Amino acid sequence: MAVEAQPAAAVEPIAAGDAVEPGAAGDAAEAAEAAVEPAEAAEGAVEPAAAAAVEAAIDPALESTDQRRARFERDAMQYVDQLYSAAMRMARNPSDAEDLVQEAYTKAFSAFHQYRPGTNLKAWLYRILTNTYINLYRKRQREPLQSNSDQIEDWQLARAESHTATGLRSAEAEALDHLPDSDVKDALQAIPEEFRLAVYFADVEGYAYKEISDIMDTPIGTVMSRLHRGRKMLRDMLGDYAKERGFGGTAAGNGSSSGKAATAAAAAATGQGPQGSKDQENRK
Amino acid sequence: MSDCQSLGDCDDSRISRIYEYLDGALSREDLADIKAHLEGCPDCAQEHDLECVIRSVVRRSCKEAAPENLKASILERIHGATTADLPG
Repeated sequence: MAVEAQPAAAVEPIAAGDAVEPGAAGDAAEAAEAAVEPAEAAEGAVEPAAAAAVEAAIDPALESTDQRRARFERDAMQYVDQLYSAAMRMARNPSDAEDLVQEAYTKAFSAFHQYRPGTNLKAWLYRILTNTYINLYRKRQREPLQSNSDQIEDWQLARAESHTATGLRSAEAEALDHLPDSDVKDALQAIPEEFRLAVYFADVEGYAYKEISDIMDTPIGTVMSRLHRGRKMLRDMLGDYAKERGFGGTAAGNGSSSGKAATAAAAAATGQGPQGSKDQENRK
Repeated sequence: MSDCQSLGDCDDSRISRIYEYLDGALSREDLADIKAHLEGCPDCAQEHDLECVIRSVVRRSCKEAAPENLKASILERIHGATTADLPG
């Protein structure tokens, strides 16, 4: 629902601060800024113009700690459920997910003076969450950021008016629609994590490629490649689950690759660790 | 899956186009072309619908409510610190 309400064009720069990821953040923020033309118009449509003007007028440098804390509580705390949902896709168990969200919020508050009012706060929080996850739980080597201006071109111009089905649902679609949530979560969890997070940010949160590239600190081409591969794995696995549950008979999983094969491939890729699965870099 | 080649000469590129269509990653011209195509091609429309269903199922399944105490403990941590003395 929140996804539908968010126009695709409403891309705002993620004012990620030094506290999040020194070095890498600067370029990303600049790149985001360069690509952000449609944001104001789209935002105006969502929020009353007056409120947006007030937001923009806040100067974080002149705030007292109490004022900043009040602003943080008012603006940032509303996303706890959403951050927790994303953290559950990262940490895999409720206790770690809770720790992760708590840590991310603490970091976000400590860096909140660097957040630029009027930009996309939820995406900024997601970026901190993702960073926190990587630093705390994965300790993995981050890919170098490539801020290549020609990657930020017409990535994001128009969106289909409606995501609703046309009524031509196949038996496979019917079958997948009946899968229990636990199956869907299991299938997601079986996808290598960088694919899973890209799919999560795109399909659950409705973020555009550029926004995901900011949140995950990866080039847009990598985001697209991860999305493509992640979605295919997910589709195959869901088909397989549907088949096992006897939904839709042979219709589910009649694709060219079998769900079981996809599961095995995903498990193998997961075993190799986050850098083991070679993304097809910069598909464009 | 289908013999339709309007959106690409293989299933892979066809699905790519449908992803981009749903992701809002196309120019207005391309968007209109694909929309028109989907209206006339039941095979591609089924692919499109399957992808819509997958996305809605994923959205539905991933919706979690944070534990009740989480918000309180975040607030507690924030109140126990100023922005200056928290670790960056």
